Amino acid sequence: MNTATECLLRLVEEHHELEDYQGGVPRWCTGCGDNAILAAVQRLCRDENLRPEKTVFVSGIGCSSRFPHYMRTYGFHGIHGRALPLAEGVKMSRPDLQVFVNTGDGDCCSIGAAHWIHALRYNMNMTLMLHDNQVYGLTKMQASPTSPKGTKTNTSPRGSYLEALNPLTVTLGVQNVSFVAQVVDWIPEILYDVISAAYHHKGFSFIRIIQRCPEWLPKMFEPVLHDTNRVLLLHHEDGLHLSDGLARTYRKQLEHDPSDIHRAREIASGTDPIPVGILYRNPEVPCYEETRHAGQLTTAGRVRGALEAELDKYTVWPQQA
Amino acid sequence: MNDTTMLPQAEKPVVTLKEHIVEIISDSGEGAQRCGQSLGSIAARMGNGIWTVEIIPAEIRPPARSVAGASGNRIRIGSGRITNGGDETDLVIAFNEQVLLGRVRARELKPDCTILLESMWRSHKDPAIAASYKETYDSLVAAGYKVHEVPMEKECLALVNDARRGKNMFALGMLCSIYSLDLALAREQIALTFRKKEASVVDANVRLLDAGHAWAEANLDFKYRIPATRSTEPQVVVNGNTALALGVLASGMEICAMYPITPATSASHYLSDVFEKVGGIVHQAEDEIAACAFAIGASYAGKCAVTITSGPGYSLKQEGIGLAVMGEIPLVVVNVQRGGPSTGQPTKAEQGDLLTAMFGSHGDAPKVVMAASTIEDCFYSVITARKIAETFNMVVVVLTDAGLATSQQPFPRPQFSETWLAPPIDQTPVPEGTKPYDWDPATGLARRIVPGQPNGMHTITGLAHDRQSHVAYDPDINHEALRMRSLKLATLQKTLKAPPVVGGDSGDLLIVGWGSTQGAIEEAVATLRAEGLKVSSMHLRFLQPLPPGIKEAMKRFKKVMTFESNWGDDPQDEIIDENNRRYSALAMLLRSRFLVDVDCWSEVRGQPIKPGTICRVIRERLNRKTKTLKAAQS
Amino acid sequence: MNAELQTQIAFRLAGRKPAAGAEGGGAGLRPALLARCRDLTALRYDFPLVLARGVADKDSAQCLSAIVDEVVHRVAGEDNAERVTRHLLRLEREIRALIAGGARGTLAALWDDAAARLAGGDASLDDSLKRGRKALKVDGVLADCDESLPALMLKHAWGVVRENKTRRLGEDLRRLTIGLSNVLRADAARSEAGRSAEGLKASIGAGHAEVFDFAAMSRLLAKSASRDGLPAGRRRRLESLLEVLEAQRFAPVPDEPQTQDRCYAFTFGSCAEAVAAYRERLPKALELARSMAIAELEVKGEYREAAHDALFADFGEGDLAQEALAGFPDYLICMSADALHGAETDRLMELLSAGLPVKVLVQTDDLLEESTIARDGHFALGMRAKQLASMAMGLNDVYVLQSASSNLFQFRDRILAGMAYAGPALFSVYSGAAGDAGGLPPYLLAAAAMESRAFPAYSYDPSAGPNWASRFDLEANTQVEADWPSQEFAYEDENHQRVQSAPAFTFADFVACDPRHARHFARVARADWNDGMVPLEEHLRRGAAGAGEALPYVMLVDAEGRLQRAIVDEPLVRATLRCRESWHSLQELGGIHNSHAERLLAKQAAAPQPAAEPVVEAAVPKEEIPAEAEAKPSTDDPYIETPRCTTCNECTQINDKMFAYNENKQAYVANPDAGTYAQLVEAAESCQVSIIHPGKPRNPDEPGLAELQERAAAFA
Repeated sequence: MNTATECLLRLVEEHHELEDYQGGVPRWCTGCGDNAILAAVQRLCRDENLRPEKTVFVSGIGCSSRFPHYMRTYGFHGIHGRALPLAEGVKMSRPDLQVFVNTGDGDCCSIGAAHWIHALRYNMNMTLMLHDNQVYGLTKMQASPTSPKGTKTNTSPRGSYLEALNPLTVTLGVQNVSFVAQVVDWIPEILYDVISAAYHHKGFSFIRIIQRCPEWLPKMFEPVLHDTNRVLLLHHEDGLHLSDGLARTYRKQLEHDPSDIHRAREIASGTDPIPVGILYRNPEVPCYEETRHAGQLTTAGRVRGALEAELDKYTVWPQQA
Repeated sequence: MNDTTMLPQAEKPVVTLKEHIVEIISDSGEGAQRCGQSLGSIAARMGNGIWTVEIIPAEIRPPARSVAGASGNRIRIGSGRITNGGDETDLVIAFNEQVLLGRVRARELKPDCTILLESMWRSHKDPAIAASYKETYDSLVAAGYKVHEVPMEKECLALVNDARRGKNMFALGMLCSIYSLDLALAREQIALTFRKKEASVVDANVRLLDAGHAWAEANLDFKYRIPATRSTEPQVVVNGNTALALGVLASGMEICAMYPITPATSASHYLSDVFEKVGGIVHQAEDEIAACAFAIGASYAGKCAVTITSGPGYSLKQEGIGLAVMGEIPLVVVNVQRGGPSTGQPTKAEQGDLLTAMFGSHGDAPKVVMAASTIEDCFYSVITARKIAETFNMVVVVLTDAGLATSQQPFPRPQFSETWLAPPIDQTPVPEGTKPYDWDPATGLARRIVPGQPNGMHTITGLAHDRQSHVAYDPDINHEALRMRSLKLATLQKTLKAPPVVGGDSGDLLIVGWGSTQGAIEEAVATLRAEGLKVSSMHLRFLQPLPPGIKEAMKRFKKVMTFESNWGDDPQDEIIDENNRRYSALAMLLRSRFLVDVDCWSEVRGQPIKPGTICRVIRERLNRKTKTLKAAQS
Repeated sequence: MNAELQTQIAFRLAGRKPAAGAEGGGAGLRPALLARCRDLTALRYDFPLVLARGVADKDSAQCLSAIVDEVVHRVAGEDNAERVTRHLLRLEREIRALIAGGARGTLAALWDDAAARLAGGDASLDDSLKRGRKALKVDGVLADCDESLPALMLKHAWGVVRENKTRRLGEDLRRLTIGLSNVLRADAARSEAGRSAEGLKASIGAGHAEVFDFAAMSRLLAKSASRDGLPAGRRRRLESLLEVLEAQRFAPVPDEPQTQDRCYAFTFGSCAEAVAAYRERLPKALELARSMAIAELEVKGEYREAAHDALFADFGEGDLAQEALAGFPDYLICMSADALHGAETDRLMELLSAGLPVKVLVQTDDLLEESTIARDGHFALGMRAKQLASMAMGLNDVYVLQSASSNLFQFRDRILAGMAYAGPALFSVYSGAAGDAGGLPPYLLAAAAMESRAFPAYSYDPSAGPNWASRFDLEANTQVEADWPSQEFAYEDENHQRVQSAPAFTFADFVACDPRHARHFARVARADWNDGMVPLEEHLRRGAAGAGEALPYVMLVDAEGRLQRAIVDEPLVRATLRCRESWHSLQELGGIHNSHAERLLAKQAAAPQPAAEPVVEAAVPKEEIPAEAEAKPSTDDPYIETPRCTTCNECTQINDKMFAYNENKQAYVANPDAGTYAQLVEAAESCQVSIIHPGKPRNPDEPGLAELQERAAAFA
């Protein structure tokens, strides 16, 4: 419909407060970074006035994946590692729905790794938030693929044995990748801006959120948390715009054009300081659900037509006597 | 026989047959498949009953002239309706002796089977080949087969320059002569098969057809006729997988998620070709697990979706299926069974997945299990499965097998009804405070709420949950939820009718079967009853829940047994006794559910069970029983 | 002053016919510049056109030569292409000949006719034609530059735009109809009928009809059935919406042929008819637009009676309707300028100014007919159409296009633009197909009218921008800067010397094309040429100065191609002057010699210029901003750097009276006195991101202050 009509309709649209998107009381530990993500997402829903019944949060298993329970929208708390294929099915059968995926480092980068790679290829229009606390929390502290080498956990009491997997470089290495960003849960302003940018990006938006786990790794983030020079803010006219306040607090800044994938890959491979912001964005990558014409209108008439046409191919008509 | 001698053009005696089983086999790529399908169609159009089975080598391009490389078609032609592949083969056309050997060793040929054998190898420039040919030929003749050498290559080269492309139609011509089929129909059939090619192709093939016919008329000393009862209604001739795909189309489902696996994949191939015309989508996922999850996501948010797979894939989907059961998300899962366990026999038929289908996935995960027993059933089962899934919010597993997947049997052309289609996605608001699992205490049923419906917001979860779908920490809630999900099966059971008993209502033996064995079992029953044996049969379409009336029926017979192609220990084995005997799947179910001493006989040779075999077994069992009775009396 | 000169002056000033010497006035003469082109069929120029179907909009009008060139280009790769090319060009000439002979029809048809005429005998020719035909990819009606062209071409362009509109409309209608009926069908599936034994039986295939006890199934399903069907109000609304959508006659719906046949016609021959039709359909259009707008909401489940009923109640007024109707087909009126008398003109102006969705073609065939109210001595030409266009521009929101038909092909994109323009459009076209045009083909006459500024070509597109500069375009006219276009022109004088000159092509030259106005010219024998004679254009430039004695003339040629000077009489001179004046005002609108601009420039030229300073952006790297610059509240009061709060619940769990969340779920100090200083310090310490600043103790009596303040120091 056209603009003036939209304006008029928007006038009478029902508006939602942040509270309207709040589901059950979060059972995350006090101080858990997931709370920051939840708050940012609920802000987004309010600011974009998303219709709760048209919004679906899909998750797998783990602390992060409790997320849908805390939203008052539709939600699908699935099984370990399978959040993405579930979400893809939802989007394919209902392109009109707003789909978000909340997953963790174990859920996405370990048991669900295959789906992660292929979700990037499909590039369906949805936003993925990887709550990366670099440890298995719900199962009481085991090493995850993103745990830094030497992390002492219940399965690696003498320190984890392998180098940590870098979700950013992996993601940026996959054909059809269209949006990659990294944030830390303790800079809410950027957390919000990036989630908002991801929401507005048409395609599969991958956000790695470095998230503190005060329960199992209370010390892990202490240094980066209190030394603002351990964070590198990425900004660009086509990317994030930094507020003065932020610019004062975080002095390490880099102008990076999100359309430059090679630079993005370089930046992605750096871990200290932690690059924060939009690394890559390409709105031109086709969305699988559109390539496949999902949600195309079908009618009983069309089904009948197609079926009869097919049956004709295989029908032996009784021979005229 | 020397292929140059011509018989005097005297009228041959035409022998009238009730039925005959024909095979055309070649190296793959020589078109025996097409020849067989054409023969089937022609016979069907004349009003004969047919059952055709593809003979497929395991490899894509097996070496030429290899024993395991037989590719072709097996057609059972009868004057009446044909319900299964029948017993051993009566007549074979073989393009080389090696593929023929494969069939001989598989004991697929009648002892006195007629063999029409390509004779070119006898004079092949490679002495080894020529030798092996002569050797095989002699041994076959010695074994009592009626072998006729046919110079197919030579005859075809007179008409086309590449005989490999022509032999199959030449063979078709011979068969038309042998079975006194209508040549005009055969020509039409060829025109139909090559309708996409230019006229010259059609003409060439027709010339080959005529040549084959003429050659057989002139050189073969036998000729048959299988009287046809002309059918009055249009018939559809497709294999089981195509029927499945057509069923998906007709059920109004719009998303099929799959991952390539034999023998299920051809259904998805076919669907991929036609589905998009009606806004449907076949999604080839990154793996079986993703395919299942994708289908569940699609079902959850919209119309019921389907995922089609075979054994190994079915195992991989178990966790997903459990989620659908827990979330009460409608889902249709088709398992085209193949030989197991593990990778097993990808191209061979077996009924080994029944118990996995029923009890697969951890915990108590009640789901509906149906089994298609005919090609026609493959079509209607999908429509029924979709309806049940959406009405009861349950997972419905449809079992078929490699046999049905590749067999063709004509069935009445379905009359499409728009009422088959899944209803549109309901987006109307639900009343404030509606619970997503508002279980009816009597039936366990609850209305389904779909994303987009105002006031219905909730979070589906695989965790134990209450009526609000809130994570349940209270043990009573978990108990109640399990009860409710189980009640739905009982409710469905109450809507089923007792399956009919074929043969007499009571007697000495009741055979209970499921799936693709129906035709063979019922044919055997007919044969045995004709011999005066009091044998009846009952065939199950629903395996979970089991329909009513089974126990009552079993009680009316002295003995009950099942015939299945899944493993069951043979009591004859030295180490096997009642305490350790593993019964076949259905037998085990019936025993445990009805406390009836159900016996079983099973075979897992990768081939459909033959009616003859069933007859043999039953005769043995029955007089073994009578013997023991006599022993008791004396 | 000799007698001859006197008679000449007499003619010039009083229009009195000269005696000998200049007999016959301008009869049989035509402008020297037109002398060269007589047979157009020999030329490869813009015409004829092919009005193509089923191609990209921009290609909907193509000229024959271009199409032939395209064909030639396609066969270029093949062997002996050069021969084929030759033959195809011959074919093109043949087609032109056919058309000149009055043949009409589609390109394909005429192509084949022409081919048939050429064919026979020469095998190579036949081959060329065959290959050419194979490479011919476009087809459509052929239109030559004659009185039928304007209507043909505009109808075609209108058709293209209309098809695009109705396709979109039709697709929307289909989508909405399906969407609405889906809501009803979904409800039916849930309804009792859907759960009835019959309903259930019908939903199971014949193959399984015997498997179920449908009565039992129906009974059991009833237990859990949802009781809430569609509210009666909504059901009624959906059903009535469907009725409206299914009954509409504005656009064909895909998959539904019957909707094609019953669609309204939208082309009319007069404003009256168009207005009548518009009035009659408006209510239906509004109802449909309204229903579609509501349906959009209904299918998305977003319609809320409380809010939307009122909104759509007064749909007819207001922008809603206007914008919705923009998607509907426009009304096309094709009329002749002759029909524009009194009432009709008013009606036209009225429906243009009312902003109705009309596209109007006013076609003028005769530009030079005497004004009905011509006073003697005052020579006035009608030019109604010309005034019409400028009047329409005065309305500001009407798309206006004026052009001679000779220029229509060059204007094809603007024609499409006008047809697509959301609002009324006026196309004023001069066809040059007047009955008695002295045997000049319409194309030449039309071109002459445009050259001579008698009928300049321009367009005015209100949607192109906010001002004249962006809306008005005069560029199509030759030598747009000049008063009159002038062309290099060579002739032989009496002693066969080649003479070069560049005479201007004035309004008078154009009038000279028309025998009816011969009396305004007096031919002057070469012998009588004298210094008093000045080219008309120069004469006009001189203005009043010495106009009295000057003898303004134009150069004409007679039937034998001999060059003549013809004196122009005063009325025609005045008319020419008037034509130049109106051209000047057009130029000003087009920003050429704009008087205001020129005055302004003159002023600036007078004023001293200040040296322009390069603007340098004070770009200070962010790193260098001193952190101290951040304004902190006084450190006496406790505060939280709220924007940095990560909503981790640490502080709120210590004291949710003292700490609270704002509308963004980020913490702030709600009430510093709601708890102890100890709690403030504890919160500051437990805050993961250390953004809580306890400030100074508020209650001096609180125990252990000293120690607490020490700990607080870290967060000052």
